[in-house]
Amino acid sequence: MSAGRRDILLALGFAALLAMVPLVFGTRYIISQITLFFIWGIVVTQWNLVLGVAGIFSLAQMALFAIGAYATAMLAYYGAFPLLAAMPLAALVTVAASLLIGFACLRLKGAYVALLTLAVAQVIYLIVVNDTACFTNPPSGCLPLFGGVRGFSRFGDLGFRDLLGSKFYIGHYYVGLGLLLAAQIFCIILIRGPLGLAFRALRDNPGYAMSRGVGRLRYQLWVFGLSAFFTGLAGAFYAANFGVVGPIVFSVSMLLFLLAMIVVGGMGTVWGPLLGAALLMAADEGLREFGTLREIGLGLVLAIFVILLPRGLSGLRRR
Amino acid sequence: MEIFIQVIASGLTLGAMYAVSTIGLALVYSALNMLNMSQGALLAFGGYVCFYAMETLGLPAPVAMLAAMVVGGGLGLAIYLLVARPMLGSPMFETQIFIATIGIGSVLQSVVLQLFGPQPKAQPLNVPGGVSLGGVVVPWQSLLILTIALAMLAGVAWLLGRTRAGLAIRATAQNRDAAQLMGIRIGQVYAQVLMLSGALAALSGIMVSSLSGLLPTMGADPMLKAFVICVVAGLGNVPGAAIAALLLGLLEAIIQYLFGVQYAFAILLGLVIGVLIWRPYGLFGKRQVVRL
Amino acid sequence: MSLLEIEGLEAGYGAQAVLHGLNLTIGEGSFAALVGPNGHGKSTTLRAISGLLRARAGSIRFAGARIDRLRPDQIVAEGIIHVPQGDMLFPELTVIENLRLGAYLPKAAAEARTRLDEVFSLLPKLRERQDQVASTLSGGERRMVGIGRGLMAGGRLLMLDEPSLGLAPIVIDQIYEVVRHLAVSGRTILVVEENAMRIAELADRMHLMDNGRIAWDGLGSEFLSRPEIRAAYLGG
Repeated sequence: MSAGRRDILLALGFAALLAMVPLVFGTRYIISQITLFFIWGIVVTQWNLVLGVAGIFSLAQMALFAIGAYATAMLAYYGAFPLLAAMPLAALVTVAASLLIGFACLRLKGAYVALLTLAVAQVIYLIVVNDTACFTNPPSGCLPLFGGVRGFSRFGDLGFRDLLGSKFYIGHYYVGLGLLLAAQIFCIILIRGPLGLAFRALRDNPGYAMSRGVGRLRYQLWVFGLSAFFTGLAGAFYAANFGVVGPIVFSVSMLLFLLAMIVVGGMGTVWGPLLGAALLMAADEGLREFGTLREIGLGLVLAIFVILLPRGLSGLRRR
Repeated sequence: MEIFIQVIASGLTLGAMYAVSTIGLALVYSALNMLNMSQGALLAFGGYVCFYAMETLGLPAPVAMLAAMVVGGGLGLAIYLLVARPMLGSPMFETQIFIATIGIGSVLQSVVLQLFGPQPKAQPLNVPGGVSLGGVVVPWQSLLILTIALAMLAGVAWLLGRTRAGLAIRATAQNRDAAQLMGIRIGQVYAQVLMLSGALAALSGIMVSSLSGLLPTMGADPMLKAFVICVVAGLGNVPGAAIAALLLGLLEAIIQYLFGVQYAFAILLGLVIGVLIWRPYGLFGKRQVVRL
Repeated sequence: MSLLEIEGLEAGYGAQAVLHGLNLTIGEGSFAALVGPNGHGKSTTLRAISGLLRARAGSIRFAGARIDRLRPDQIVAEGIIHVPQGDMLFPELTVIENLRLGAYLPKAAAEARTRLDEVFSLLPKLRERQDQVASTLSGGERRMVGIGRGLMAGGRLLMLDEPSLGLAPIVIDQIYEVVRHLAVSGRTILVVEENAMRIAELADRMHLMDNGRIAWDGLGSEFLSRPEIRAAYLGG
């Protein structure tokens, strides 16, 4: 059995197990936390493709997530789109944005890419936060075009409230699970398939691969764009799940949290990022009451892992 | 004419301030290929140490500034010894150090938050009043910043260009192996460069906070600007970074005047992205052969 | 008396081993040449001696003391001067700054002035070019700066890695003129060369490398008369 097939079966197995969770544990808190894990899971699996597989040191991933979330909220709020239609549209908007960013940044070398994508993310954040001119004036008060500091709320939901009543969060849980499953299978296909092979060739021997006509930029753009689709979808689902979108999705500590998941789990591996996400979210639960110490702990975890265990937990097995 | 003088004065002040922290970043990158993402936190540390020394310990301003620079240099040294040195030989050094310093930056920033709290504070190092130039009042504070920054830039230029240690730094930046074959102990050069960069960051933090106040997160924007300046100049190009800092400071002042403060940074970054599409290795950067 | 003694040296890059138990002895005051085809570890040997590459096994002794655990700067301070392959100059520094860096260590710096005169008399072109930035020089001139920079350090063992590689024939003659001068100066010299026939005329001792080991060594005059070597190098 090929490694790809094994991983896909594994993914389906995990999904089946997770699908049974709501039947066993009923509490809303646990279910919503696992739903949040699905969201971050999608983001880290896709970011991992960009960072660890395609070798693009992009820090714009959270900005893409934010674009997905904001596009959903704005389509629903201003355009009165139903969320089910707004979400895939928002994902496409994210892809378009990622291609623009990609064209601007990907021709550059590693460190430049990191700085430039960070700068792009910051520009988007500043545009959202600094825009104070009222675009509309709903009863709740002045609302700038991009929602300003307050962000968007009351832009509809996925309809589970009508369907399931107070148990609507279980509906969200299954949507999240389905999206994460799709995103992870996409990752497996990409890492284990020919595109992943091409990237390994590029990474291990750039000169040779280039002389054989393996065009780096084109592959990178493909990965960047495709992973942006799922990232945007994750953002869209985030909007739908919480019913609020604000500038907090741009925050540095969020970026740090997600980056730490990938580093702890193992960059470039199939299962590492999800493992890291599960571990760090569990640890975060434990540290919740410690306030600022949580940030210190997170920063230390990130630094210590990079220094002592650069391949992450997944790398332990191979040693 | 008056507006012109005002814009030039504030642009030069901004630029000189950026230049101080930017050359530190550029030096570190040129010597170690290290992007120090904890620079922003070092800025904040510097600002707060100066605040603490003056406000709580009652020390005179020059001593407080010196203390901040010593603390900044010490943190730079600690970052070298504890973070950079263990991974120096790694083939993934550039990516690893980037991620690790993001973590360290977050730790340092949280420490500042823990020690001083989240409320904004005013930097006590502040000179009131101003001087009239061509009918425009230019604050003493701006002139002081400009003077200190230029003195500092001149000092760094002297250090790099005229001293034995500076020659060793330049040699290490240009060819690491060859530098070792000359008998240069590159570990020592790395440590010196990070200390110098830490001290410059602290000084820059004092300047920034004297204009816009102290906040634990105050370093984030100046750091991003410093990086942008480095990128425009071509990463690791130290003199280019100083020139680009002054140019971008002026440009920012002009944009602020024309379009308003809130859009200045966004427009600036837009311009930078344009520059990079036009010249991917920066304005003064040379196209380097990618090391295979 | 032997100045450099290498025993069972193993070294390489990443997972790839290049040297497999190399033994090599260089006598004080001798002019030794390390020859052999590309990719068999000649440059790797020099990099291991100067500490740029860590030895994985074996020992390197210089003037009786182990040096294989020292840092490159300490090894330079011991008196081993390595003029590396290619130019490896400091491209944005001037010729004179490059030369000064050769005498970076305090002991060499004290004698820098007289050494500089010696270097300029041996390589007069460098005097004309002294304020020029290294990256603007021609290939031959760069090579001369590299050799001059090595000479500035003084030292007890001078190692030259392929001093004539990739140069035009007329420039190679100029470089060899310098090497010939060094050969008769009484210094201890180790030259890595691919062009074995040419260096054999100058060298006291030849060391032929094959796949990470020394396959043959002997006198320079003997080297040229060995039939198997003539076969390998002259194809007949």
